[in-house]
Amino acid sequence: MVKRILLALVTLWLLSVLVFAAGRMLPGNVGRAMLGPFADQAAVDVLNREMGTDRPILVQYGEWIAGLVTGDLGMSYAYRAPVAPFLGEALANSAKLSLVAFLMVVPLGILGGIIAALYRGRATDRIISVTGLSATVVPEFVSGIVLILTFGVWLRWFPISATWPDGAGILTQIHYLILPSIPLVLILFGYIARMARAGMIEALDAEYTRTAILKGLSFPQVIWRHVLRNALLPTISVIATQTVYLIGGLVVIEILFHYQGIGSLIYTAANKKDFPMLQAGVMAVGALFAVTTLIADLLYARLNPRIRFGLGQ
Amino acid sequence: MSINFKRLDILRRGRSAHENHLIDGLVRGTVSRREFMRFGSVLGLSMPLLGSISAAVGYGLSATPLRAATPGGTIRFGQIVPTGAIDPVTIADSGGLTVLSQVAETLVLSGSDLSAVPLLAESWSPNADGNIWTFKLRQGVKFHNGNTMTADDVVATFDRLSDPKVGSNALSVFSGMLSKGGTRKVDDYTVEFHLDTANGNFPYAVSTDNYNAVIVPADFTGNYEDAMIGTGPFKLDKFTPKVGASFVRNDDYWGPTPLPDRIEVTFYDDYQPQILALQGGQIDIIQQVPVLQGFGLLNDPNFDIISTPSSAHQQVHMRVDMDPFKDKRVRRAIALCLNRPALVQGLMKGKAQIGNDSPFMAAYPSTDPSVPQREKNIAEAKQLMEAAGMAGGFSTTLTAAKYLEIPDYAVLIQNAVKEIGGDIQLNIMDQGAYYGDAVPGKSPWLDSVMGITDYGHRGVPNVFLQAPLTSTGTWNSAHFANSEYDALVTSYIGALDLEAQRESASKIQTLLLDETPLIFSYFYDFLTVTRKGATGVEPTAMGHLMLGQASL
Repeated sequence: MVKRILLALVTLWLLSVLVFAAGRMLPGNVGRAMLGPFADQAAVDVLNREMGTDRPILVQYGEWIAGLVTGDLGMSYAYRAPVAPFLGEALANSAKLSLVAFLMVVPLGILGGIIAALYRGRATDRIISVTGLSATVVPEFVSGIVLILTFGVWLRWFPISATWPDGAGILTQIHYLILPSIPLVLILFGYIARMARAGMIEALDAEYTRTAILKGLSFPQVIWRHVLRNALLPTISVIATQTVYLIGGLVVIEILFHYQGIGSLIYTAANKKDFPMLQAGVMAVGALFAVTTLIADLLYARLNPRIRFGLGQ
Repeated sequence: MSINFKRLDILRRGRSAHENHLIDGLVRGTVSRREFMRFGSVLGLSMPLLGSISAAVGYGLSATPLRAATPGGTIRFGQIVPTGAIDPVTIADSGGLTVLSQVAETLVLSGSDLSAVPLLAESWSPNADGNIWTFKLRQGVKFHNGNTMTADDVVATFDRLSDPKVGSNALSVFSGMLSKGGTRKVDDYTVEFHLDTANGNFPYAVSTDNYNAVIVPADFTGNYEDAMIGTGPFKLDKFTPKVGASFVRNDDYWGPTPLPDRIEVTFYDDYQPQILALQGGQIDIIQQVPVLQGFGLLNDPNFDIISTPSSAHQQVHMRVDMDPFKDKRVRRAIALCLNRPALVQGLMKGKAQIGNDSPFMAAYPSTDPSVPQREKNIAEAKQLMEAAGMAGGFSTTLTAAKYLEIPDYAVLIQNAVKEIGGDIQLNIMDQGAYYGDAVPGKSPWLDSVMGITDYGHRGVPNVFLQAPLTSTGTWNSAHFANSEYDALVTSYIGALDLEAQRESASKIQTLLLDETPLIFSYFYDFLTVTRKGATGVEPTAMGHLMLGQASL
């Protein structure tokens, strides 16, 4: 466990070096990128001096990493304001959107997979598998636009922009988040259902299942106690990796639905060479990835006694 | 046929007796639209202005149909998210300017007909040499903090903007024109600008054409986003970076009482979400939409399009110091391959004005309209290529940024020159990569043998004439160096009256047609979209959105 945490920390440190170096290797300097190609050179020089971006890279890295470990994320170049509140709000927004999407897609996906596996080879299975697979390959900007045009512009059931008004209650927030969640559900449903179906089929065919049936357990008992527990193991690691995608990779959805999440934060920061914002965003997603993987491993162990007791591979 | 008298009054401003007589005829119906357009252009009225006037009188699609404006209410508009902090000293993008234009004002308004209209200044005049300009300030103007605006605020504003140590974005306008200390108080309501060199168009440098020239209190110390103290028709209610802002009516406004109670701005990363939000009724106005993205809205009966002619354009440069463009006949031949009316209709859906390979677009009052328009002529182009010893064709690379319609324009140029045996490879790159470090040697923009660069609107052509074309110009992608041209530009900029300006302009236009270091095929319009029937919405091609008299 301690070893795993240390490994995660080393990974994060490597990520910090990478994201820092990658930003600085891009052509162009920060002051120029912010003021635009037509700004006076004197203005660019003054800005670079003010922000300290004219100093050696190692000094800048040292200062940033020292700030990072003490919880100081630095000042945004573009907004001349501390990064932390921007990041905090973006993370909270992303968490809300992914939670809504998650609550819809995980039960649906698993249920779909189970049903498909139980009706293996029959029409129900085909419908679930083919629909899921087809939905997965529809890019989110296509499904997003279709949803907006249908439910936002035409029927006007849902707001087009996912950003709710100030002071909106939880129900209003969920109402604003349903439309942008659906493209995510469409993309992930097929994936999760397939994993669940494959796991189910493997477990249904296993000898322990036959044994369980033969020793006279009822069908629901067999499914609940023996099949599901084994069948869902791979599905859980899939869901865990998708959580990070849900939180960190929704640039298209966030821009289309005008939502201030971490994806659009990183995207605009990269475009504007707002390095402190970009670095903080990437590090946050990296940390999230490390934590989710850790949790998934623990959950996996919880469901799999071989790992829990250290007897497995 | 409904007549928009308010708009007509604005358009009439500064027109001569002859011109107003002609407009009267159109209003009464004794002059037909066709006659109006013809005689108007003879009198020297620009084509876009003639179009605006006839639209205001009710011919064609009027931008703001006549309807009694109702005070009150909230106006919600969408715009592209500002690229940085809202700070009058540093803003360098039209997104920031749109926000700033709600709260702050300049001395002069550069109107949609390109005339200079008094705003916080009541009048101005140059000395005989054109190097000292005296501005009379409007009295009784109050800042949002209750203080009265005086010459001290104006002097402090321009000293700040012209001080190289402060590093304001306005230095790109003021370098070599106005230095720190050059702005002097004469009395509380009179200011003198002592310029570094004579400049006949100086009022435009302190107008809405200059992103940063808004008057802020003398004790301004930065952190503008906290309160946004200005003199404008609206006061800041709340500003959230990256998200949006809201403003409330300024009841102490010096001008006509603002109509809306409240303005709400939402920032968007892209155009598509704004279009959807407008269609879904979440916003009332899109501040600006490019022709390509807004195509679907152009013919939608639910919305009005305000089409503001601008001098924004895509400049094609050909390096005069590199093959195959060393010979000016080759450069001219390439310019002759382009079918400009087809570009305007096809590429820009008619929302652009044809260009004649110089910064002098038809709408500038100083442009000489008698200089012949360059038209597509393949026979002549082939002759020129033969005379230049390149009848067998040539090959080169066209470098351009992935921005607006530029990639499509590049393909059209590539196809057009095939007719004279031209083989152009395209190198389309990210906008940041294209501009690079913006210094020679580290910037495809300034180094490429042929390229396309987007230039924003300017109310006078001075910047377009200098930076990309003079031998010391900092944006001279074509590496054009011509002492005769440099001298002509100096005399154009120093000229005080229109006749003298037009005389220099005529020579510059002719010289640039002969040399053709740059191709100006079209100047594109600035499109603002509103809900059907909205009135009083006044955008500028710089990016301002003036809503003081707006009503839905």
